[in-house]
Amino acid sequence: MTTNGQKRFSYAVLVLPAVLIYLTVVAFPTIFSIILSLTNYNGGRIFGNPDIGFVGISSYIWMLTEPAGNFYRALGNNMLIVGVSVFGQIPLGFILAYILTRKLIKRGRSFFQTMIFLPYVISPVIIGVLFNVFILSQHSVYMEIVKIFNPDAVFTISKTPIAPVLVVVLWMFTGFYMIVFMAHMQRIDPSIDEAARIDGAKESQVLRYIILPSMTSEIVTCAILAISGSLRTFDLIYAMTAGGPAGQTRVLSIFMYNAAFGGAPNYPLANAISTVMVLISVVLIIVTRQVGKLFKEKDA
Amino acid sequence: MSKARIFALVIAAVMVFGLLSACGGNTGGTTSTTAATTAATTAATTAATTAATTAATTAATTAAPTTEAATEAPTEPAEEVVELRVLNYIDLSAPGAMETLDVVWKAFDEAHPNIKVTREDEYNEPFHNSVEAYAAAGTLPDVLFAWPSGRSTTLHTQKLLKDLSPLVERDGLAANYIPQATMPENQAGGYMAMLPQGNTATHMFIANLEVLEDAGLEPATTYSELVEQVPILREAGYETVIMPNQDTWVMQSCLFSMVVGRFCGAGWENRILSGEAKFTDPDFVAALDFIQQMYEDEVLLQSSIALGYGDGPGQFATNQGAYYIDGDWRVGMFITDNTTGEALISPDRQDNFKITVFPEIDLPGVKLNASNSAVLGTGWGINAELEDGSAKLEAAWELVKWLCGEEVQTHMVRNGGLPTPSWIGIDYASLGLEPLQVQMANFSNEYSTSTAVVDGVLQGPVYEPLNDGLQALGMGVQTPEEVAQVTQDAFEAWDAAQ
Repeated sequence: MTTNGQKRFSYAVLVLPAVLIYLTVVAFPTIFSIILSLTNYNGGRIFGNPDIGFVGISSYIWMLTEPAGNFYRALGNNMLIVGVSVFGQIPLGFILAYILTRKLIKRGRSFFQTMIFLPYVISPVIIGVLFNVFILSQHSVYMEIVKIFNPDAVFTISKTPIAPVLVVVLWMFTGFYMIVFMAHMQRIDPSIDEAARIDGAKESQVLRYIILPSMTSEIVTCAILAISGSLRTFDLIYAMTAGGPAGQTRVLSIFMYNAAFGGAPNYPLANAISTVMVLISVVLIIVTRQVGKLFKEKDA
Repeated sequence: MSKARIFALVIAAVMVFGLLSACGGNTGGTTSTTAATTAATTAATTAATTAATTAATTAATTAAPTTEAATEAPTEPAEEVVELRVLNYIDLSAPGAMETLDVVWKAFDEAHPNIKVTREDEYNEPFHNSVEAYAAAGTLPDVLFAWPSGRSTTLHTQKLLKDLSPLVERDGLAANYIPQATMPENQAGGYMAMLPQGNTATHMFIANLEVLEDAGLEPATTYSELVEQVPILREAGYETVIMPNQDTWVMQSCLFSMVVGRFCGAGWENRILSGEAKFTDPDFVAALDFIQQMYEDEVLLQSSIALGYGDGPGQFATNQGAYYIDGDWRVGMFITDNTTGEALISPDRQDNFKITVFPEIDLPGVKLNASNSAVLGTGWGINAELEDGSAKLEAAWELVKWLCGEEVQTHMVRNGGLPTPSWIGIDYASLGLEPLQVQMANFSNEYSTSTAVVDGVLQGPVYEPLNDGLQALGMGVQTPEEVAQVTQDAFEAWDAAQ
């Protein structure tokens, strides 16, 4: 028999390593990043450097007012990716999961399931490079095919070069949400469905009154994953376009990377961008949770 | 103490020990761990993770040469052994790179048994990330490769590299180098932070005579002639100019810097920096307008903006275009790799390629022609923390003198790694150079005036919007006036922040 004190001590000791890891690799860098965003640190030694001083929110002001408008363009691109993720990947993933789980197609379910999920297991860098080589250049496979029909065809760059990136984002991650939704749909008790059928419910009514209400939590969870994933997206776009051409596909993480490591480094600006990314992410996740709550209450 | 409490403490101790062990690693990884940890606290999470990964990766590559060097050193050196940490920049895919590792570094090891070099080889972004991470951690290597400005700005402006002027003067070396190599004003910090290995022409224009002959053409001598050749070349199935423009710096460095010099005249950068001129002045806008016109005339195809920097030489060498634009450093890509004996353009074909500068721009507003953009080349610097008079500083200086000396520069000229050496008096005739290298050795005869390179004289916050703008012109999403205005605004904002 152990006392409550001993239990608490044991719990505290057991969580200590996890807390240490969290403080070291998450909390400390985050707080330090915020602190650095308020300084004039611009390379060289961080600790013991007498030239480093606090300059307030000047990096944030620069970020929001710099003449080229890089922040707003990058934020806009991020919001487009968030939009495609939340209003594209999730609905599409849900529909595909519904079709496959409810056996609305008779043959090849495993094949379709595998093919839709496959892009998700490939490294984003490989996908980025492949799309670049296959589509985005004069000597791409795509252009070679086009030239069969029109030998004079010349590759041109779209005035909205973010569009191909959005297509790839949609194609790549939809399979993940489909698998998540399928897992949860398969857990719905079949007897509920059978009872509804006996009562004369149509397929659309089963979807509206049984499946959707039972999936609210999963949809909210997926939306949170989609938002946070969209805001931190880097590898796929960096490999595919490196933020170009002319910065038209630059997202916040690439803007931050360039500020820190491209040309003359501007660490306070890079840290200011990362802080804003965290804030935006938190706000969007809170909004998503509130919307999820509203739906839950309505269904209850 | 109860059994439960003892059990919990043992479990916790094991977990903490395991955590600490995981954070450790071998000796080779010590430096990178420090750098990575500091980098992680320096920049934002994603950027820091990249730096950490880079540093960790490079630690692994450091181990091999170190071991090799150690085993080859005499077992009983006459003097105390001085250890030097060196950060080397090398493109291992470039012709002769592997040979350079052997010839340059092995030779130094053999000649200096009392200096043990621990070398880390990096290239491109990982190199720059490592430098920034080391600088942040205060663990900069003793000797490192550096640019006179641009990507090495931190090293210069933060005075992280030692002033080499006293050492150059002490050893009477200045007379051995081209004058601009030892001029402090040519480096970003206003002092001689690195000893350059050469001078760099950031623009060269290569004409492919095989393609031109096939299309029944001669190399264009004016821009108008170049424009007239576009439809003829297209009809024959060739692009007019191949230029790998995907990275934004390429257009700025390899073409626009030369163009702005021709439209704005020599010394344009001084007039901008002093406030006497603006980016929105007609001559600068005319230079931007010329870039847009090149796209409109299809001298440059829009697809060049999607062509990766590594893909250009291959396309040109396989006769897909009549002309090629790049920096002079790229000639090394075409010649024979001494390691493999292979060449993108074999020596027997090289006479069919003519290296020159962009044709005369026969348009109103041009102030110069037969000019080129040039900047001090890359070289080697020494960590500023090495104490004056110390054995380590002397060893580091010995290494820098070797790396920037006649023997190494001669070797680099021979294998195509150095188009324009900073060492005076290299005997080209005795080197058995390939035809393209001979042309490169005489390249300075192709132009009469050198003008500034944009990213060599302006800071990142100013030239980065310009770099983007140059691509935007090609895409047709911005006008020359808009690009000029954004650049001017960026310059004024940067200037106000100084």
